Amino acid sequence: MGGRDTTMVLLDENGIRCDGRKIDETRKIMIKAGVLKNADGSAYIEFGDNKILVGVFGPRDVHPKHMSDTDTGILRVRYHMEPFSVTERKNPAPSRREIEISKVIKEALEPAVMLEQFPRTAVDVFIEVLQADGGTRCAALSAASVALADAGIPMRDMVAACASGKVADTIVLDVNNEEDQAGQADMPIGYMPSLEKITLLQLDGVLTPEEYKKCVEVGVNGCKIVYEVQKKALNDKYFGSGKD
Amino acid sequence: MASRTVIDELKRSQILELLEQGKRVDGRALDEPREISIEINAIPKANGSARVFLGDTEVLCGVKIQPDRPFPDMGDKGIFICTAELLPLSHPTVETGPPQPHVIELARVTDRGIRESHMIDVSQLVIEKDKSVVGVFADIVVIDYDGNLFDACSYAATAALLTSKTPKWVMENDKPTLVDAEATSLPTTTIPVSVTMGKIGNHIIVDPNGDEWASMDARITITTNSDGNICALQKGGSDGFTQDEIVQCGELSVRVGAKIREKLKEAQQESQ
Amino acid sequence: MDNRRKYVIPGDVVTSGPFRPEQNVILEGNKIISTTVGISEIYDDSVRVISLTGKYIPKIDDLVIGKVISHTSLSWELDINSCYVGFLPAQDVFGRDFSAHADELSSKLKTGDLVAARIANFDRTRDPLITISDRDLGKIDSGALVKISPSKVPRLIGKRGSMIQMIEQATDAAITIGQNGWVVVSCESPEGLLKAKKAIQMVDEKAHIANLTDQVKDMLESKGES
Repeated sequence: MGGRDTTMVLLDENGIRCDGRKIDETRKIMIKAGVLKNADGSAYIEFGDNKILVGVFGPRDVHPKHMSDTDTGILRVRYHMEPFSVTERKNPAPSRREIEISKVIKEALEPAVMLEQFPRTAVDVFIEVLQADGGTRCAALSAASVALADAGIPMRDMVAACASGKVADTIVLDVNNEEDQAGQADMPIGYMPSLEKITLLQLDGVLTPEEYKKCVEVGVNGCKIVYEVQKKALNDKYFGSGKD
Repeated sequence: MASRTVIDELKRSQILELLEQGKRVDGRALDEPREISIEINAIPKANGSARVFLGDTEVLCGVKIQPDRPFPDMGDKGIFICTAELLPLSHPTVETGPPQPHVIELARVTDRGIRESHMIDVSQLVIEKDKSVVGVFADIVVIDYDGNLFDACSYAATAALLTSKTPKWVMENDKPTLVDAEATSLPTTTIPVSVTMGKIGNHIIVDPNGDEWASMDARITITTNSDGNICALQKGGSDGFTQDEIVQCGELSVRVGAKIREKLKEAQQESQ
Repeated sequence: MDNRRKYVIPGDVVTSGPFRPEQNVILEGNKIISTTVGISEIYDDSVRVISLTGKYIPKIDDLVIGKVISHTSLSWELDINSCYVGFLPAQDVFGRDFSAHADELSSKLKTGDLVAARIANFDRTRDPLITISDRDLGKIDSGALVKISPSKVPRLIGKRGSMIQMIEQATDAAITIGQNGWVVVSCESPEGLLKAKKAIQMVDEKAHIANLTDQVKDMLESKGES
């Protein structure tokens, strides 16, 4: 644990960040689709040091019945962090932060999923954070989108997510854990690339109107980078190489 | 919702028919466990971790080691806590919410298997007597289900604990202060190994897979330590075992456990 | 892959212009967008995407394999690998003189039994209605159940049944394919059964490969592998 490293340089004179990245560079991203045997759809993402697993079930019967909707299927999302995923061991019980993030991710996916064709059912998205390192909600949302596609849930578009932020007075892409703690602003963004709509947006910190505009722009570009990784994950599983 | 735990009749008959001939559907011998694969340090930021595959059952254990206050009358002992959770993504029938009795049983049996073997020497985990001790938390999560979570959880926790790196703290101004983030391994005394056996009809099978688990009448989980002694035991299921069967299971757990212990030792060596 | 077929994922634009959107596509402005992971096909006046994943969506008259998961005194509930549970009324099996007092459902079908069934009726306001009252339907007494993705069923059947016939002839197995992706394989010889199961699994895993038929043929003709 220890205290904050006050000697850490967030951005040096060459524009290099504390982990060696440039200001418009994301951390290393990897997504694999279809990693679980029992779930209807699944995906695993590594985003920097974040390691997150998502499993999807559905559309399926809703229990208790009174929670179902006669006109459409419902989407349920549970974002959960393992006790060993963070620096100081976390109690397994759901925290208020996890409950809020579950809701925010659900509302980021709802514009994309098309559940009117499945009345009285539910689609369950279970997100498990195995290791956390800043930006888990964006990584989780990106993996959830791939898991939903893997499960065959009809969607208007994928949802890709990435955070932008302000660090040492500069707008940067993909804020890591140290930058999140010591930086000036953090803006997670969820984006539908074909429909060009933002479905998740939050902000921690203070931005001028110009910085705000730049931050959104930088973040959306980050989402497009994540989208390419999502495409690759689905391509690798479904479209293979055509030969064997 | 109950559909996936309902095993189809054809499969159940096939399992029984093959058992009458001394065979199993996946070709294993009755006393043969599935292939065990152990990946250590799966979660680098934790103090220790292990991901275990037992057939298609997948389990992950992360170990966190941090200073804690000792229990009231145990000021000269560190703390060891072991939990297990069935993640809802592991099987369609897993519900969210407060843990169900069978999950609580899984967690407690796994904990007892390690605790009763005295695997962790908690007397060596004291920073300052009565004030500050080292807390070792082994949290297990089940990622994919294909039968026999008892053994998978036991192996994951044991492997994670054997390969954990524990920091060193000293008291400074009445507070535990970190001096070395990866000082040593945990002080361990033995390697507990659990072996679970299922009973189908009159047949005892080691490491039932998902289909066999759904066809079982009863089960027993027996944990042995490095000396080949039995240190924990749990019988479950709605049928009974004869006395002879119980003794037979004891022998199996020692024999099969010894082989599995070698795998865990390999994982331990890998980390050094 | 000819140029009227393309691999797509949700959100991909298949084409734009005056086409009628059919399965698994939607119209956004004048663009036709895929809603699933699959293969798009453009016809003269319509566009569709063949989904490569997802559960079975019941269609009236489809043959399906179902598993009994529960029953009341009036009906059975069947798992048919769909978002909805299949509903099999007692009258379908006992006939019109069915009496809940006199006739015990589990005497005919009990939990865990597999049936070959047909979708009698389905609309999205209620669970699919199942029937087993035809000659080729009913409880399955023997065989092994193999599960594949429903989207692979056409490939397993093959053009005019060519793939499934090839497998049946090479292994001497009798294979019943449910449109819901559940397949029952019966075979006198254990080797034949194993080969047939392997062939079916190959189709499930490699449906997108061009020379799949040859690969399955080679596997069936090879000796002594398991």
